[in-house]
Amino acid sequence: MSQGDVILDIRNVTKRFPGVTALDNVSFQVRRGEVHGLCGENGAGKSTLMKILSGVYPYGSYEGTIIYDGSELKLVERPIQRARELGIAIVYQELMLVPNMTVGENIFLGKEPVERGAIQWDRLYSEAGELLAKYGLNVSPRAPVRTLGVGKMQMVEIAKALSENAKVLILDEPTSALTEAEVDRLMEIIANLKRHNVTCIYITHKLEEFFRIADTITVLRDGKVVASQPVGHYTLEKLVGYMVGREMKERFPKRHRHIGDVVLSVEGLEALDPNNPTRRVLRGVSFDVRRGEILGIAGLMGSGRSELVNTLFGEFGRITRGTIRIEGQEVCIRSARDAMRYGLSLVPEDRKLQGLVLIQSILKNISLPNLDQFAGFMRIDEDAEVVAASKQAKSLAIKTPSLQARADSLSGGNQQKVVIAKWLLSNPKVLIMDDPTRGIDVGAKYEIYKLMDELASRGVAIILISSELEEVLGMSDRVMVMHQGRSMGTLDISEATQERVMAMATGLDEIKIV
Amino acid sequence: MDILKTSETQTVNARSALMEDILTRLKSNFQTYAILFALGALWILFTILTNGAYMGPQNISNLFRQMTVTSFLAIGMVFVIVTGNIDLSVGRLAGFVSVVVAYFQANVWFRQIPDQPLLSAVLSVLIGLGVGLLWGVLQGYIIAFLGVPSFIVTLGSMFILSGAILLVTQGKTIPANQPIFSDIAQGYLPQTLGWAIGFIVLVALLLRSLNKIRRKRKYGLQPPNIGVELAGVIITSALVFGYIYWVNEYRGIQTPVFLLALTALVMSHLANNTRFGRYAYAIGGNREAARLSGVNIQRSIFLVFALMGLLCGIAGVVLASYVGYGTIAAGQGYELDAIASAILGGTSTLGGVGTISGALIGALIMSSLTTGLQMLNVAPAWQYVVKGAVLVLAVYADVYFKRSRQ
Repeated sequence: MSQGDVILDIRNVTKRFPGVTALDNVSFQVRRGEVHGLCGENGAGKSTLMKILSGVYPYGSYEGTIIYDGSELKLVERPIQRARELGIAIVYQELMLVPNMTVGENIFLGKEPVERGAIQWDRLYSEAGELLAKYGLNVSPRAPVRTLGVGKMQMVEIAKALSENAKVLILDEPTSALTEAEVDRLMEIIANLKRHNVTCIYITHKLEEFFRIADTITVLRDGKVVASQPVGHYTLEKLVGYMVGREMKERFPKRHRHIGDVVLSVEGLEALDPNNPTRRVLRGVSFDVRRGEILGIAGLMGSGRSELVNTLFGEFGRITRGTIRIEGQEVCIRSARDAMRYGLSLVPEDRKLQGLVLIQSILKNISLPNLDQFAGFMRIDEDAEVVAASKQAKSLAIKTPSLQARADSLSGGNQQKVVIAKWLLSNPKVLIMDDPTRGIDVGAKYEIYKLMDELASRGVAIILISSELEEVLGMSDRVMVMHQGRSMGTLDISEATQERVMAMATGLDEIKIV
Repeated sequence: MDILKTSETQTVNARSALMEDILTRLKSNFQTYAILFALGALWILFTILTNGAYMGPQNISNLFRQMTVTSFLAIGMVFVIVTGNIDLSVGRLAGFVSVVVAYFQANVWFRQIPDQPLLSAVLSVLIGLGVGLLWGVLQGYIIAFLGVPSFIVTLGSMFILSGAILLVTQGKTIPANQPIFSDIAQGYLPQTLGWAIGFIVLVALLLRSLNKIRRKRKYGLQPPNIGVELAGVIITSALVFGYIYWVNEYRGIQTPVFLLALTALVMSHLANNTRFGRYAYAIGGNREAARLSGVNIQRSIFLVFALMGLLCGIAGVVLASYVGYGTIAAGQGYELDAIASAILGGTSTLGGVGTISGALIGALIMSSLTTGLQMLNVAPAWQYVVKGAVLVLAVYADVYFKRSRQ
């Protein structure tokens, strides 16, 4: 158990799919107890590699050798369970917990302590408690998972993996849904795991995180290893360069904005949670957004950012006070349909759950909110529909062989473009984008940023919410900061620094509106 | 401007796009083709086993007539299941409509307007459709606006309707075999009218194709391949003429089959070419995405159940006319046949997927099995066993092929 020996030695691994070589002669080493960052654009081969390690693609379906903990890794029978038994655990981007069970039940799901056929609940909860305490995970074992935030759910997932004595823990995009504070907490947990000699393979699109936590970074591009070096070897620019195969100087495009009149203004908005009317989700929000402007909304998770935009869109909060004006006219929005009529569009937070009908074609997804444009009495003009949708698909450069292809056949970035296309077709005055680049790769992100800038330059008002503060600061003209359901004030981009925004988001600073 | 430039370089070759289009259509209708193939195999098997009697004009005529009642229910069930719901009440609702109609035929018109069979029949039809629609509206309201799950509402409604049937019939059988009314399900179209319908179908198909090409030109879209288009018209009209020729060998096109064909055409149009249909599929595919796209989910689901009620009304009228009686067992178990037909025809129990044509083929398979097994003198007990096994096997085959294609 000496720290620093090689726990995972990947030698010349090649994995082919019909028509594609997903991994091409991949070799690198992971040392015991280190945090090994793995990065690459979508499709670079990260997830294929992780699927091999976790047994989804069993031994024999790929070429090459993997030496794990001193002997060759051969996952043949019941490969996924076998990988877990051997101590390779993976925490997926989409959390896999049973919401109606408690933390303890989730951790021991499938391996409950049993005596004569009966589950030993006391033992289960005490062991779960010990496990959580040992690794500094601050969650109660008896709490139902559905009451936890995303950050805590992640801790439960990690605890679940550790309960099987994981030696190698693979974290796939663990921070994509976390706030800055939750990310900090996760970093502490990972540092703590390191002290317990647990090896972490850390996958993320947020490259800054590698520099905070990783010891070594391996970069994959088009299925090949292009670099595998100690973290000190890299700079952010260099890393991006390895990933995309060229130096990328700017992460955000240049701005071409001509800011016009106020389109949407919100004053003193207060709202209740419709599922729990005693909870006040919005407690006084005021802001406005102008034509051709990108207004960023910053705030920690739970600050009411998403609740605000969903309420504006008529699909969440029950408004108790305050006014919403569109082009000066006071409006009452009760449903998405109302919102669309007033020229609002929402690119929702979760494109798979809220944005797309994954089993339907790209064409049908794009036209769904816009059928009124093509429909006469009892008939949809399908040709007009195809013309309009392909125009959008072209101008957004959606990469697909046909509009008839199913939405779930696209990569994350292209799926997001479909969501944007469907809303652009409705010709919005205000486009609300809730975390538009979540979980998509650097190249696709930049395309979406460029698109946002172009839309703004055409006079669309954009409201941008993001869990990445840098994105908000990089794209916005002004930033509105929220804290506990209230707007703490709006900063012009020139005065918005990370420190200033964070101070407001944590409630330390507030701009008094006069 | 950059964005536009990149897109031009990525314009896909139109021809390969067409091929891709045909391929995806074939792939997405894979189950429909598979089930058509199964139907053909089944017919050949029964024809051999019965020394050709199975394909005789009289038998084919009866076979198609037999499938009509459950087919009306099955095509409505497609919408219900596509939106992620279920309707267990359809059999009993059709049964209830049939006894109400029989009651009016036997007891009311007979006294109020004697010797007016046409007027009686028209009034009966209107009452039947009205009762079905009204019940559908009520169920739809409870499911969509009061938020009670459809499984529960329709289960309860099945019990209520069973009781209502007993109340109307008082436990007795009511005759509904009056002239004209009984023609609805037992009549035949004159043979010349049959041929005329065939020609109307042919002309309509040609006009539709021409119109399609003209419209694609107007929008500057790649027009469909004329050869492919013409082949489609020829195959479809050959099938229609073949069918007409064959049933004319017996007594002509069966009135209920004609009614079913009309209804199925309207329903297919609703499913594919109207907002109502698109919304139904979107709700079943992803309710949340549909809601955020401005789809009024409550209204859509309400309409689906109202439509289902109306179709139960049609099925009930046809049932009364077909059986010639209103009985206490009317429509019992038909909901299961309807669900089985829809699912055999490729409707996904997960929602979002399903076609009217598929459900019709499903119903035809069920009816072909029943007829064939009866001709082979298979005991009714085993007929149930075979039908059940076929349903499970068919869905398993689909699951298996889907898995192996991935």
